[in-house]
Amino acid sequence: MSVQDSKAGQDVLRRVGEASALILISLADGPKHGYALIQDIKQLAGLELGPGTLYGALDRLERLGFIEPMPADDRRHPYRITTSGAAALRVHLDALERVSAAGRLRLRLGGI
Amino acid sequence: MDEPRPTRLIETALQCYPARWRRRHGDEAAELAVLLIIDGTPPASIAVSYLAGAAREWLTPRPSRRMITVACALLAAACSLAAAAGLLTSAVPARAANTSHWHGRGHCRPASPEPVPGVIAAMGHSHVITREAGHDRSC
Repeated sequence: MSVQDSKAGQDVLRRVGEASALILISLADGPKHGYALIQDIKQLAGLELGPGTLYGALDRLERLGFIEPMPADDRRHPYRITTSGAAALRVHLDALERVSAAGRLRLRLGGI
Repeated sequence: MDEPRPTRLIETALQCYPARWRRRHGDEAAELAVLLIIDGTPPASIAVSYLAGAAREWLTPRPSRRMITVACALLAAACSLAAAAGLLTSAVPARAANTSHWHGRGHCRPASPEPVPGVIAAMGHSHVITREAGHDRSC
């Protein structure tokens, strides 16, 4: 799993879990630190990320080169999304949209 | 006024992380725990989340750990090769000793190492015909 995968159009985020995708979505409109990320994700997805899950996902995304830490203010490290992170998020959202459209179509065809 | 601190349970959970992780995220994680407690998150659930995170952190293979694993595998392979070579070298003299003390089972003797040169002219090839000193039949 690498940055090359997302460049090749593969949905890398599908394999790294929902928390990572939500973090990237949250960082898409600007840098945030841990607490701000938890609050934002709670608001946008109704999901309360545990702090252990949050740091695990942040480390994973940083290793993949999808986010990068900014200089710390006080003890907090804000993170920002990188160009390859934005590309991976776009691929993931496109894939979700395709699946979502197919699901809605099938529901309509099935008359449910 | 004293700065609020995470509970002992959370501090213990944070201690479970590898030192490298604590150096990087330790202070921020403790501060985040305090903020979450102020927001009303139960300290026990924060501690459980950190414990699970610590377990994942230890179990996730890192590039450096992967290198160590590869080095250990190579070392183990080298050791087993050396052991196999050692066994072979100790087995060869033993077999040689067995054959030199041949008591003879009548007709069955190991092939003689002395080749008898001969030429099969009709076929146009030079051949070395090996004739067993004892029997022509192999045992």
